[in-house]
Amino acid sequence: MTEQPESVPAEPGSGRVLVLLDGSRLSLSALEAAADIAALRGHEILGVFVEEVNLLRSSGFDFAREIGASSGTSRPLDSAMLEMRMRSLAEQARRSLQRAVASRGLRQALKLCRGSVIEEVLGLVGPDDLVVMGRAGWSATPGSRLGSTARGLIRQAPGDVLLWAEIQRRPGHGVVVLLNDDQGANHRALAVGIEQARRHHQPLTVLIRSHGEGGQEVVRAIEEQLIARGAGARVRLIPRASAAEVARILRQERPSELVVSRQCSVFDEQGADQLLVELNLPVTVTP
Amino acid sequence: MTVPAPLNIDQVYHRCPPEKLDFETTETLEDLELPCGQERVLRALEFGASMEGRGFNLFVLGPSGAGKQELVERFLGRHAGEKEVPPDWCHVYNFKNADRPKALHFPAGQGREFRKDMNDFTDELRTAIPATFESEEYQSRIQELQEEMAKRQHQGLFDIQEEANRNNIAMITTPAGFTFAPMRDGEVIDPEDYKKFSDEEKQLVESKVEELQKKLQQTIQQIPRLRKEVRERVHALNEEMVQITLGGPMGELREKWSHLPEVVAHLDAVREDVVEHAEAFQDGESGPPAGLLVRYKVNLLVDNAETQGAPVIYEDLPNHQHLTGQIEHRARQGTLYTDFTLIKGGAMHRASGGYLILDARRILTQPMAWESLKRILFSGEIRIESLERLYGLVSTTSLQPEPIPVSVKVVILGDRMLYYLLSHYDPDFLDLFKVEADFEDDLDRDDGCYELYARMIATMARGVKARPLSRDGVARLIEHASRLASDQRKLTAHDRVLRDLMSEADHWARQAGEKLITADHIQQAIDEREYRASRVRERSMEQITRGIVKIATEGEEVGQVNGLSVLRLGASMFGQPTRITATARPGKGQVVDIEREAKLGGPIHSKAVMILSRFLASRYAGERELSLSASLAFEQSYGGVEGDSASVAETCVLLSAIAGVPLRQNFAVTGSMNQHGEVQAVGGVNEKIEGFFSVCRNSGNLGNQGVLLPESNVEHLMLRKDVRDAMGEGQFTIYPISDINEAIELLTGMEAGVADENGDYPEGSFNRKVQDRLVAFAEVGKKRDDDKDNGNGNGGKDNDD
Repeated sequence: MTEQPESVPAEPGSGRVLVLLDGSRLSLSALEAAADIAALRGHEILGVFVEEVNLLRSSGFDFAREIGASSGTSRPLDSAMLEMRMRSLAEQARRSLQRAVASRGLRQALKLCRGSVIEEVLGLVGPDDLVVMGRAGWSATPGSRLGSTARGLIRQAPGDVLLWAEIQRRPGHGVVVLLNDDQGANHRALAVGIEQARRHHQPLTVLIRSHGEGGQEVVRAIEEQLIARGAGARVRLIPRASAAEVARILRQERPSELVVSRQCSVFDEQGADQLLVELNLPVTVTP
Repeated sequence: MTVPAPLNIDQVYHRCPPEKLDFETTETLEDLELPCGQERVLRALEFGASMEGRGFNLFVLGPSGAGKQELVERFLGRHAGEKEVPPDWCHVYNFKNADRPKALHFPAGQGREFRKDMNDFTDELRTAIPATFESEEYQSRIQELQEEMAKRQHQGLFDIQEEANRNNIAMITTPAGFTFAPMRDGEVIDPEDYKKFSDEEKQLVESKVEELQKKLQQTIQQIPRLRKEVRERVHALNEEMVQITLGGPMGELREKWSHLPEVVAHLDAVREDVVEHAEAFQDGESGPPAGLLVRYKVNLLVDNAETQGAPVIYEDLPNHQHLTGQIEHRARQGTLYTDFTLIKGGAMHRASGGYLILDARRILTQPMAWESLKRILFSGEIRIESLERLYGLVSTTSLQPEPIPVSVKVVILGDRMLYYLLSHYDPDFLDLFKVEADFEDDLDRDDGCYELYARMIATMARGVKARPLSRDGVARLIEHASRLASDQRKLTAHDRVLRDLMSEADHWARQAGEKLITADHIQQAIDEREYRASRVRERSMEQITRGIVKIATEGEEVGQVNGLSVLRLGASMFGQPTRITATARPGKGQVVDIEREAKLGGPIHSKAVMILSRFLASRYAGERELSLSASLAFEQSYGGVEGDSASVAETCVLLSAIAGVPLRQNFAVTGSMNQHGEVQAVGGVNEKIEGFFSVCRNSGNLGNQGVLLPESNVEHLMLRKDVRDAMGEGQFTIYPISDINEAIELLTGMEAGVADENGDYPEGSFNRKVQDRLVAFAEVGKKRDDDKDNGNGNGGKDNDD
């Protein structure tokens, strides 16, 4: 990466990029994205591999069996075998991390721990850190397009969380920032949006959920912020409709990436998770 | 018998009467569209070109350079103009069987239009279909569909997870799937703690886990079926969208081509194919694969848009591929690849509905070309097969395009020998080439021909872009045409020779800075041609002049005469005298032909000698025994001798040898003779006379020489000017003879004599001398036989036996 960061949410070196590694295909793809971001920001990259305690325990039962996610066949699950698989996955994660940073000249570290993933990550992450993870882990079956860990972290993490999804970027598609007209943390989501748009050389669209009163003021404020950061974007007001309606509007914008603030009121509504489930694209959730 | 009168110069050269040429230069003469004197060929062409029946193809036979091709093209061009323009033919993709491209036909000119229509249609597909797929409508419908199906897939798993949670059982993802474990407060119970559970509790947990596992298994195993359903529904949606998109343009095309049901059927097949491959068009950026779109193209094999009347095609390289068409290949990444767009039509395709002109020799020398031509003519359809496949050299699968019906009139041009050989050896030939158009070599030279011939010369001169000819130039050319035909009453029809001569004369006229080609230029062209070909003739003359080859042109000799022979070298021929000698002595009635004994004589020559020997026996021996052992030889002849044109000379020399009467050496003799002593015509008389004349002139004592030639040959004489001049001055004489006695009298100066009723010749006549000498030979022979019978002779010593 030779491109210099033009605008970052924090001072260079003041944060880290945490990437959750579990050995799944999506986590490896997320690692590449994380490495790109870390290189751009000049941050250290920290790989986190958590041996889920619930999984380890569940293999300790005599009756434990594993049902294949694709084949549906059932076979015995025993601790020794599982431990071995976890070690091999950890080793694979280490190698992947080394490979990812080697070409970018980054500093990296791998943290291996055992316990609950959410707790372990929350124990490691700070407000300036970015957590990058796949939308779902191993069980990337149709039933789990947003994993439980992802659900937990986007609500609890003190910093930004990037839920990675593999997509094909097409010309004409752009980065969309979804905001509320009455929230205070707009500048953070906007900054991330600008950064991502620059990173992929894509247009930026800002959607503002508004009741209709005072929306124009927010638009002006946002435009000023954009000018201040030397960025251009299309700013559009949208009604405060249900999560499903927001999903429809978002699809019209043909986003390749979404940035949304956790304080955005859409998260308060029923089926907010569903919004993220339906939009199969990288989503950054800012605090 | 009286000696025949010598010929005068008007008898040895047929001049062109100037009053018959009513023009100053050929510039004023109109073009002659069809050559004069070729009525037989023209009638055959007329018949062959309009005869509809099967196998009535034409073979135009005549010598090379006779202008066959030009005449046939001109004739057929006129004939074809009145006929209908044949249809266009296209190959299109066969959607049912890709290896067998289909053939479609269109009224002339519409093939091109259809090709354009399909190209436009393909371009439209390239943009319209991706646009459909990118439309909001399609995107939201596909989204709905996928969401609905995803929901159905997810729901099963969610339900199981919910059920597990309700029963305090955790559904946990593993690297390869799912597992179930008892849970408390959202965490999996430690297995050690679990051991403390009562058996009842354990059984409850385990049976529930087992039940959940079974449900999960069933749910997961249903996923492939659900996925298949999604695929089918997406495909159905794609088809629906493409159908709607295609509706407009396809409807227009079907309407436009509704008069051609086969084309409409093809359009329907195209629509079905596009619908079937709807997904391939989805990628709006790189577009549908080229291999897919190429299938909707049209390969216009025969385009008659600009054809007027029926086509007349001359194929100058009639090999198998050029006749039947071929399937070409394109190299792509080291492999050879073909499709229906690489099918190339052949001359047969282009000529269908019209005429195809081919050269017999060329088609016969091309591998398989003749067989392919016959196969097409028999079957009435063109099947494109590569040469390698016909020979069985390759077995790779290739295209087998649908055969195209063909109705073509084939006109083959060739020399006569090929026609007769093909008739004899190829059993199919006469079935397929029923019309024989035989070119005349010569035209009749009569009073009516001059005008037409002059117009033909004028047309030819314009054809070769030569200057116009003056009247005397045309006259000289007509006279030379008679010389080329070797007949005062004929004119050569050999197009090439006349054309070449005219071009050369034009060259000399240009060199001389003249605006017209005159008789002098024609004469110069003739002389130059002769000079260029004269090396061998001059060497031969030189040997005679220097006495290396012995030829006497004066004096008298017994058993020696000047025969005349002709040598043909390439396109030129020349005559020269040959000394023929004979010996005679008593024997058993034999005449030994030394040429034959030495295997230098041909069969016709042998026949002539046999005739001569029977003539001798019947004329001079009558009912007596012929006691003769004679021999004949062509002196200093080291090549073969063929023909019977020396038989008069041979008879004379043999009789001279028998009678011991000398023959005059200032004469040369040519002519063949039958068993009754009648003299018959021979060939090459002009060259023979001119050859002897040159020898006499070169010897420096030209004065009383001459040639004896058959009377029936007189009308073949078109002698050179220097010969005619010498004749005018009485230095050279030509005698026409009709009987051997005339030759005898001219050569010996004696009366030949006519036999009385007893078969005896008058005293003092030449024939009496021969007869007497033969009687003497018989007596000698009889005495010898008697001595042998009495046992006091040296019997069996006759070397001549």
